[in-house]
Amino acid sequence: MLKRLLYIAGILGLLIGLWGLYDRLVYGHMHANYGSYVVWGLWVALYMFFAGVATGSFMLATLDLLFDLPLFRGSGRMALWGALVTLPAGLAAIGLDLGHMSRIWKVYLQPHFGSVMAQLVWGYTIFLGIIIISLWLSFQPQRSRWLKPIMAVGLILAIFLSGGIGALLGVNQNRVSWHVSNLPAQFPVFNLTSGVALMLIAIGWFGPQHDSRRTRQLHVLSLAMVVLLLVKGYYLWSDVSQALYQNSSHGAAAINLVLFGPYGWAFWLLQLGIGMLLPLIILTMPIGKQGFAAGLMGLCILIGLAVARANIIFPALSLPELQGLGEAFHGPHLSFTYSPSLMEWAVTAGIVGAATIGFLVGTDRLPLFTRPTTEATGTAD
Amino acid sequence: MSRQPTIPLIPVSRRGFLGALVAGAGVLAVASVAPSAITEKPIDTIDMLTPEEALAAYEAEIARLRAARISGAPIDQLERMRTDLLRALTKPVAERRWVMVIDLRACVGCHGCTIACVAENKLPPGVVYRPVIEEEIGRYPNVSRRFIPRPCMQCDNPPCTGVCPVSATFTNEHGVVEVDYEQCIGCRACIAACPYGARTFDFGYTYTANTPSAAMMLGAEQAVSYEQTSTFEYSKVHARRDLHDSPVGNVRKCHFCMHRVLNGQLPACVTTCIGRATFFGDANDPESLVSELIARPNVMRLKKELGTEPRVYYLQ
Repeated sequence: MLKRLLYIAGILGLLIGLWGLYDRLVYGHMHANYGSYVVWGLWVALYMFFAGVATGSFMLATLDLLFDLPLFRGSGRMALWGALVTLPAGLAAIGLDLGHMSRIWKVYLQPHFGSVMAQLVWGYTIFLGIIIISLWLSFQPQRSRWLKPIMAVGLILAIFLSGGIGALLGVNQNRVSWHVSNLPAQFPVFNLTSGVALMLIAIGWFGPQHDSRRTRQLHVLSLAMVVLLLVKGYYLWSDVSQALYQNSSHGAAAINLVLFGPYGWAFWLLQLGIGMLLPLIILTMPIGKQGFAAGLMGLCILIGLAVARANIIFPALSLPELQGLGEAFHGPHLSFTYSPSLMEWAVTAGIVGAATIGFLVGTDRLPLFTRPTTEATGTAD
Repeated sequence: MSRQPTIPLIPVSRRGFLGALVAGAGVLAVASVAPSAITEKPIDTIDMLTPEEALAAYEAEIARLRAARISGAPIDQLERMRTDLLRALTKPVAERRWVMVIDLRACVGCHGCTIACVAENKLPPGVVYRPVIEEEIGRYPNVSRRFIPRPCMQCDNPPCTGVCPVSATFTNEHGVVEVDYEQCIGCRACIAACPYGARTFDFGYTYTANTPSAAMMLGAEQAVSYEQTSTFEYSKVHARRDLHDSPVGNVRKCHFCMHRVLNGQLPACVTTCIGRATFFGDANDPESLVSELIARPNVMRLKKELGTEPRVYYLQ
């Protein structure tokens, strides 16, 4: 029943997304609400969110396929599948955000490697290859000796790519709320949280019902999530308290926008309430270790994380670089206020729908929760 | 500046293009004989003055100014700046240092520079290179106002160039931060990095698309033709005709009107400033007007603390 509902939601999202995609491809960026001042919008937030889920899922896959933790045996493929589904979703979001999508090849053939964005494009491309290869190797009847080295490289890459997202924002010294040294350090934790949340959903909702490890896996993942949420909460507190202490800089203005701006409700209700406090309470209770509740909390955390990505990007861009700039010249897309347009939401629904369907198809068609236990001693498969 | 009605370009599909081709044949026939029809040379780059041509123009200008001085005619600052400009063009490129000086006390907030820039570069709705920021000081009714024109600062240490993933924006040999429209992928990382908000994204709007047909609106086809005719930014020819082709989908910015400067003309914003508040020239020339101005004690640069080393100086 749950899966059917998710399929329906995914297909609906996909259909809405097709209209959004048509609009985007025919009319370009004209029907988007981001502009020349709030220069990155919903799709960039979506990219950061999905890329975070992908790197986080890969980190979780290493528990099985690299570190051989007995408790997580058999969960690696599912985590890799989650990464494989979410990474293209993120890349699709950022691809559609480009002014000239057809020139993406230039980043490969004419890159400027000093740019964090170029590094990320290359990094995520290699990472996608690693996910595909490691997933393919994990499906081999005999476990390949190449799997662990590839997973190790993938783990290092996942951590660096996570930090890279923070660096993409953090290198902009003109954005005070971004230009803090610990932003790249925070993102690996955020992304690991995303990965654990996805695994709560995967194991809680779609894991093998009769596997004795499932309950224990959920128990450990719930505990890990509680710790991660506490760390995340500490980061949030340090960001907010430091910025508001002087209450004079752009950083404080950005935090004030997050807390009390027009979308303050999204912070309090979705990011903090549903995305952090509710899971903290539920996951520490016995009910939180049960499959459905654990999966639901995973979903809540993912929603909170998605809102958090938006709250990192939009407020920092909503502050004029020079006072009065917003009123100096009027025209389309020259505004320091931003709310996503219908087309942006439609494309977002399509990408989320596609990722959801992809994830579900994997759980239906692929043996994601089993793994050969025999070790290959000879040549690679 | 007052709000302008903004209407998007109609995307060019193959069918639409063929239809327009047939329908437009008659219009083209008329336009080809109309005196206001705009014709374009099929060229990729525009000509610039050679040092020899610049020297000849400089000497002629000096002779003219000398004659004017003898006759007692006043010499405008623009004339002096143009002479400075021609003198700079006789030097090797590496020895020039183009700077802009804006006298905040002289700016009257007419926005003439903004409009001149829009006209010179045929900027579409939503793209602006030189807005004039209005600052109100004091509390009503005891207020005064200050106007701050804000071109691109052409920073010597630009934060916008390093973040570009494909090196589409860079400091060119003239010290001007350039955008290569054919290289830019439209990621807008440079806009996020600019501390001055000096870059805007071309979303593909025009002032004239979807307006009533030519028969109903006098001069409509000329207006469309004007909007789509080529500009000469960065001394290259750029036509803006397709929603899916550059410079639509690119980041755009002020370029000190280098296509004019290299032809011995001052930037459009300088020539149209009614308060004579904007100055332009070679700071590597101690005889130039801008060198005199930036040596004054009341000079300042915006957000100097960021270490961007802007080439735009303000007198306050």
